[in-house]
Amino acid sequence: MGAVDTRPRPAGQTVRSRKVAPYLVDCDCHHLWHKIDEIFPYLPRQYVQEIKDFGSMFPLGGWTNMPNSHGYRIDHDVDETTDFAEFTIREHLDPYGFDAAILTGQMVYPVVGMTNLDYAAAICRAHNDWTLEHWAAKDERFRVVLAVGPNDPVQAVAEIERLGDHPAVVGVMLPAGGRHPYGNRVYHPIYAAAEQHGLTIMTHFGGEGRGQTNPPTAAGFPTYYLEMRMARPQIAQAHAVSLICEGVFEKFPGLTWVFVEVDTWWIPGMLDHFDADWKAVRDYTPWVRRLPSEYFRSHIRVGTQPMEQPRSREHLLSFLEHAHADEVLVYASDFPHWDWDAPTSVAPDFPASMRNRIFGETAREAFHL
Amino acid sequence: MTRAGQREVVVCALADLPPGERREAEGAAGHGVTVFNVGGELHALLNHCPHRGGPLCRGRVGPLARSTRVGFWTFEREGEILRCPYHNWEFDLKTGRALYDDRLRARRYPVTVRGGQVTIHLSRPNRRFPAPK
Repeated sequence: MGAVDTRPRPAGQTVRSRKVAPYLVDCDCHHLWHKIDEIFPYLPRQYVQEIKDFGSMFPLGGWTNMPNSHGYRIDHDVDETTDFAEFTIREHLDPYGFDAAILTGQMVYPVVGMTNLDYAAAICRAHNDWTLEHWAAKDERFRVVLAVGPNDPVQAVAEIERLGDHPAVVGVMLPAGGRHPYGNRVYHPIYAAAEQHGLTIMTHFGGEGRGQTNPPTAAGFPTYYLEMRMARPQIAQAHAVSLICEGVFEKFPGLTWVFVEVDTWWIPGMLDHFDADWKAVRDYTPWVRRLPSEYFRSHIRVGTQPMEQPRSREHLLSFLEHAHADEVLVYASDFPHWDWDAPTSVAPDFPASMRNRIFGETAREAFHL
Repeated sequence: MTRAGQREVVVCALADLPPGERREAEGAAGHGVTVFNVGGELHALLNHCPHRGGPLCRGRVGPLARSTRVGFWTFEREGEILRCPYHNWEFDLKTGRALYDDRLRARRYPVTVRGGQVTIHLSRPNRRFPAPK
């Protein structure tokens, strides 16, 4: 197995690699700022002043992560002096031997609900510049997905044009909350630009029910945190179905879409049902030329975290096979949040035959690493 | 007419089955057998869908809808596609095959025209059409 943890160890303790696959990728490594002031050097003067006057004006949406807005676990030794990038390298990338970690942000997801599209675009540009300078520049294993404001495709495309060819940039983040399902053609210019620059689109839950986005469930707003967590799969399903039915992968055959932190249990049932209904009503959308499950298996990847916990090993293996896990699932840690999955904690869940795919090879292809 | 029970069923006069039309021999082969005139070719199918057992032959007949570009339809093979009224699955009238499931094929029967009469040839004696005494 690959690289060895080279950190100093107490005398007599065996140094044993915790690396679970030869090429190991984390598809959901959050990167955060302490305070929004950190991006002031990259923001236009007017917005710096407005933040000083009004606060960030990011639309609120209830729960993100506990125990605080950063979501660092309570066993994490962080305070206001911690360099989060160095902390992530020291506590996450090195010990587990990651070859790449996709930086998924989180602070800027609410831009999807902002009414001021110029402000949203400015926040995204600043976030991207800050990410490149304070994270990607510190370790080449950090890979960047660009924050863009999907409600203003013109400025989103401009940002992809500005940074899309940076060697650290591998994707574009479109948070799950939004005004339309992501198959909608208003977003297609973003996909054309992403495809042209060889970038992968990512969707992490976030932004639902904030500002001008739609509610977190089609039934309305949840009351409790547990409800909010259970809302994630239906949002991801709606986006995935929309992408396929609107012919996004027919128009942009080079595009790959990676969902993270939206659960995975729904994949088998949805694909079977999707295929069956397609056989019945496919003539209403004949540009969906192949079985929906074929588009899904070719173009859509889903992060493993939070890893499903069926009642029995038998059910788990059945699920993984039914979900085409060796094609579709990509390992995601959700570091540094409380509900994260360490590579070593979920590796035993996967049959040996699937492990290298799920922990790295599939993501390597998806992000052209 | 055969001797060992009724294996042939006269459905209608050919003049009564113009292109684009269908005629059903109710009860033939149990579920009924329908003869379709597809652009001058006669095709007889069992009125029983291999998908979920619906009355396949009473479904809509139309073209095959396809697309070369998102948002646009093209239509080909007009009148050759039969869809079951129960779940809307499409079948090729000329082969009986389900368009999008290789495993499924509607049962077909030979059709002939004798003396101007459309006749289907069943593979087994048909209890619903007993041989004339």
